[in-house]
Amino acid sequence: MASGLETFIVQTLNGLQFGFVLFLVASGLTVILGILDVLNLAHGELFAFGAYVSVGVFGYITGAIAIPAGGGIVTNVVFVLAILAAIVVTGLVLVPVGVIFESVFIRPIYERDQVYQLVLTFALLLIILDVTKFIWGDVPIRTDSVYSGINQIPTSEFLGINFPTYNVFAILLGAVVVGGLFYFFERTKTGRIIRATAINREMATAIGVSTDRVFTLVFALGAFLAGIAGAVRVPPTAATLDMGTNPLVLSFVVIVIGGLGSLRGAFVGAVAVGVLRSWMITFYPPGEVAAPFAIMAVILLVKPEGLFGTWGETA
Amino acid sequence: MVRKGTQHDAGGIDRRGLLKAVGGTAVAAALAGCSSLIGGDGEGDGDGAGAAAGTVTSDPIEAGMLTFTRGAAGVLGIQAQRGAELAVQRINDAGGIAGKREVNLDVVDEGDSPLDSYNQFIEEGKDVTFGPISSGTHAQIAPEVESNEVVNVGTDGTVTTLYEETVPDPTYSFRFQNYDVMECVTMAREAVSRLGADNIETVAGVNPGYTFGEDEMAVFTQAIQKLTGAEVVYEGFPELGASDMSNHITSVNDEQPDVTFTSLWGGDVTTFLRQASANDMYDNTTVVGSILYSAAGDVPADALEGAELYSGSRNFYWDHPQTGNWQPGQDLFDAAQDQDGVSIPNAHYMSGYGAVTAWATAVEKAIDVLGTYPTQEQIATVLEGHGFFTPAGYHVMAADHQGMSNAVAGQMVYDDDLGGARLEDVNIYSPTETAPPPGTPASDWLESWTG
Amino acid sequence: MSPGLVDRDGETHVRVIQGLVLSKRRFAGLLLGVVFLFAVPDLVRVAQALDISFFQLGVIHRGLVFGFAAVGLNLLLRHTELVSFGHAAFFGTGAYTAAVTAVYLDVTSLLILLLLATAIGTVMAGIIGALSLRHTGLYFALLTLAFGQLLYAIALGQSALGGSDGMPVRPGEANEPLLLGQSLGDAYGIILYYITAIIVLVGLLVMWRIVNSPFRYALDAIGQDRTRAEFIGLPVRRYVWVAFVISGVYGGVAGGLFAVFRQYVTPAGTLYFLQSGDILYMAILGGFKTLLGPLVGGVLLVVLEFVGRSVTPYFEFLTGAVLVILVFGFPEGIVGSIGEDGVFRRALARGKRGAADLRENPSVAGDWARRIGGGLRRQIDESLTTLRVIVFGVS
Repeated sequence: MASGLETFIVQTLNGLQFGFVLFLVASGLTVILGILDVLNLAHGELFAFGAYVSVGVFGYITGAIAIPAGGGIVTNVVFVLAILAAIVVTGLVLVPVGVIFESVFIRPIYERDQVYQLVLTFALLLIILDVTKFIWGDVPIRTDSVYSGINQIPTSEFLGINFPTYNVFAILLGAVVVGGLFYFFERTKTGRIIRATAINREMATAIGVSTDRVFTLVFALGAFLAGIAGAVRVPPTAATLDMGTNPLVLSFVVIVIGGLGSLRGAFVGAVAVGVLRSWMITFYPPGEVAAPFAIMAVILLVKPEGLFGTWGETA
Repeated sequence: MVRKGTQHDAGGIDRRGLLKAVGGTAVAAALAGCSSLIGGDGEGDGDGAGAAAGTVTSDPIEAGMLTFTRGAAGVLGIQAQRGAELAVQRINDAGGIAGKREVNLDVVDEGDSPLDSYNQFIEEGKDVTFGPISSGTHAQIAPEVESNEVVNVGTDGTVTTLYEETVPDPTYSFRFQNYDVMECVTMAREAVSRLGADNIETVAGVNPGYTFGEDEMAVFTQAIQKLTGAEVVYEGFPELGASDMSNHITSVNDEQPDVTFTSLWGGDVTTFLRQASANDMYDNTTVVGSILYSAAGDVPADALEGAELYSGSRNFYWDHPQTGNWQPGQDLFDAAQDQDGVSIPNAHYMSGYGAVTAWATAVEKAIDVLGTYPTQEQIATVLEGHGFFTPAGYHVMAADHQGMSNAVAGQMVYDDDLGGARLEDVNIYSPTETAPPPGTPASDWLESWTG
Repeated sequence: MSPGLVDRDGETHVRVIQGLVLSKRRFAGLLLGVVFLFAVPDLVRVAQALDISFFQLGVIHRGLVFGFAAVGLNLLLRHTELVSFGHAAFFGTGAYTAAVTAVYLDVTSLLILLLLATAIGTVMAGIIGALSLRHTGLYFALLTLAFGQLLYAIALGQSALGGSDGMPVRPGEANEPLLLGQSLGDAYGIILYYITAIIVLVGLLVMWRIVNSPFRYALDAIGQDRTRAEFIGLPVRRYVWVAFVISGVYGGVAGGLFAVFRQYVTPAGTLYFLQSGDILYMAILGGFKTLLGPLVGGVLLVVLEFVGRSVTPYFEFLTGAVLVILVFGFPEGIVGSIGEDGVFRRALARGKRGAADLRENPSVAGDWARRIGGGLRRQIDESLTTLRVIVFGVS
């Protein structure tokens, strides 16, 4: 017999899973904003594009690798590895997309009025949208066996709660990415160079860093993360053309809560938005759409720099 | 309807008599799916409307149709489009209306600005319009239909309030498909017949968050409470096209209601059932859906595994009567296979087909009576109380402008050979069981039930 | 100071009203514009006969009202340099006010519906403005976005407001608003169009007055440097608030007109942030450094979307491409580029010079080709290096 507490835990976990996927999208957005000083309105479409790409990649990999039937440990491990590979490949496909967009479209307008940046990234949103429509058509597409396959693996059953394994997988993956991002920005040379460029562009150029390359790299990273997010998001649902809008708008909320440019803040903000949204759906449905924006407005009024953020400090 | 094997020795009914039985004209026969039964290839040869054919021009008739052609809703909207297109094709193959006027069907997406699209139909001078699918759109358009005075035969947009509140005394607006009350009462009765009234003490609902979903939940609740006295323990309304319904599913799992009612349709069905299966919801409740079968061709096998699932299919299920015994049904199913985007024709296919049929047969009847092509008002008058055949059976367009047909429900299972879902153990409910008497608002009628 | 002809710089100009003096060419253009504006309902009939599908009353009207909202937005954008990403909030407030009063209060008077829409829209602008005052730049944009989405969420979530399906605007027995007690019947759309045209003209005149007043220069100063403006004694907060409210008035009026014309409002069509974005892009498409630009941009964008939609399923790409061309080629917008030193003139001049060069010395063509080729090669090299860097690490 389900208890109220178990339900509450599962609802919170639902929110956590959504929050982690949201973090993957918002982290790219906040990093691009913090370092390039560009609010990338097309970011949601990169997410959607990644979702579409992933359907094909999932199909190919689960088809090409004959997953040993039987359901034993070996099957499960192979299955999980296959999915991981598919997700990473999807992210990698997004990298050249990001590079092209940044170097061709966005670089020329760095010095221009902010208004033009908004117009341009919005134009990119529309372009990606129709390119996606052109390639895959207007009908929603779904992955086949990935979702049910991974759900066969018993996880939450050990804890006695009813939570699909796929969601556990998504949360774990998100945690790994969070860790990876923090490691990248704090411990690796490239990461520190990027942060330096954000904090003080002239100084960075003075020590020989090519800001052009850094910017392209950052944008590509953002695209990579958005692509992974799309791949993770798709199996339980479907890839649809309008799936990019909601994560985009919610990402705005997330980066405001966390602070424009702060990675740590994006994480806290995303989890907060995800969990809050989940609670709202359960307890006060009209609040699902309203609550995040109410919080966004309050934060902007009371503490505009967000919980953690200042420009350039990405960790 | 006469069985194929006995078409020529049916006790003395000749071809003309047979033709009369389906409405009197070649077009009506073609739309009823009976052309092959009656012999001949359905070409107009002066039957029925032929007498007046001389005074009818041969300009084509311009028809406009609003339906969802893209996105998640398009999965369903395209069914209505193909159904309408098949009906139009059959009309034209039979020589056109009155054997002279072909029909040109212009299908437009209702997703973006349906009001603008509809107004454009009128500006272009369309002679008749069909659609829309969405209840919200239908509520927007119905008042415009009345003021434009051009007959619209609605395919769907089945919300109860349309002819009870939005346009209480319609003249030009008609609606072919069984509306919300009918299908919700069907599912309430179905739930009782499958599980037993005593076994239904709690119910929950997961319905799309717009007029249609709210309407259906309200009607189903009222009906099931009258039949069983059950208590509603959870109501969730995910928005149309929502990608994540796990919260609602988790809540249902928590409450473990005896019956969970859903009016989710199209792409949402697959999302819901898939996530329900992943969250083991089938272990906790019996799902009863008014229009789950709309996703018959879309839903994957794993979503239906281990489920005891009952679904309605409005006024049409392709395999009832079984296509092996029912040639018109088999012909329809086969014709749908040749069309893009329809692997399994569902109720919405019939919505499109039937809306066109209702109008076409009414126009032919009017031509027969008047001797000329009728005005909009005359068509509207003929449509009131008009009866006609489709491969789904006999339908009546009641005097209150609401279409009345038998309702179908059954257990929804996956069929590997079919590559989609089918309904098993089908039950049929007549309009007397599912629709309020003309003139009585639905909630008053439900309130008056004694069980 | 009455209308008439005056002498300026040795040429005859036309004084339309006090302070508005135009060259003869400009005056002719203005006259043409006004005539065209009022001739639309008749032109629509002509277009129908010629099968020009986009020239519909509904489409033009929609472009006008959204463009009108963009004119209001432009006050903030052009002078105080504030990018508002939530202007749909005022548009939607006006629209929903009209709907709510029609449905729940059964108000049938057209004028009262419009008045209330304007009033409530203004109040909303006052509230949101007061809260948004302290911010500039991106924070301001995000805050306005948040408020806009909040209103959208409220309209979406309350079934009393019709939820995602929206509400009709059909009060009374006639099922439509009455003008001065009279039912307009079949002429409803046309008469409403004329009312809209009149209101648009009046609104433009008012905006012109504002733009030619000391207030405008104060706003410019605030836009350039807030701190300095404060130092020289300008009541920055109050002025920005007033500008915000004025821009909101335009939005509210536009929303009311929209609701009353179409007789149906939905949250997605009036309050969603993409509509706010549209209003912003209209201002830029038309040219946000001009007065008429946003209005022209509004009509253009709506027509472009309509035409695009009927021509190809990839109409979003079309709009996107147009915006890209706008940003890179015509930053002053359509109207802005028509001026004396606009992009068209400059491009034409450059083209003429290039042609002259070519005629004189044909080998110039070879130079050009080499230059273009060199540039392309450099770009490709750079991109390849970048790719290598990304894959193998920053060197």
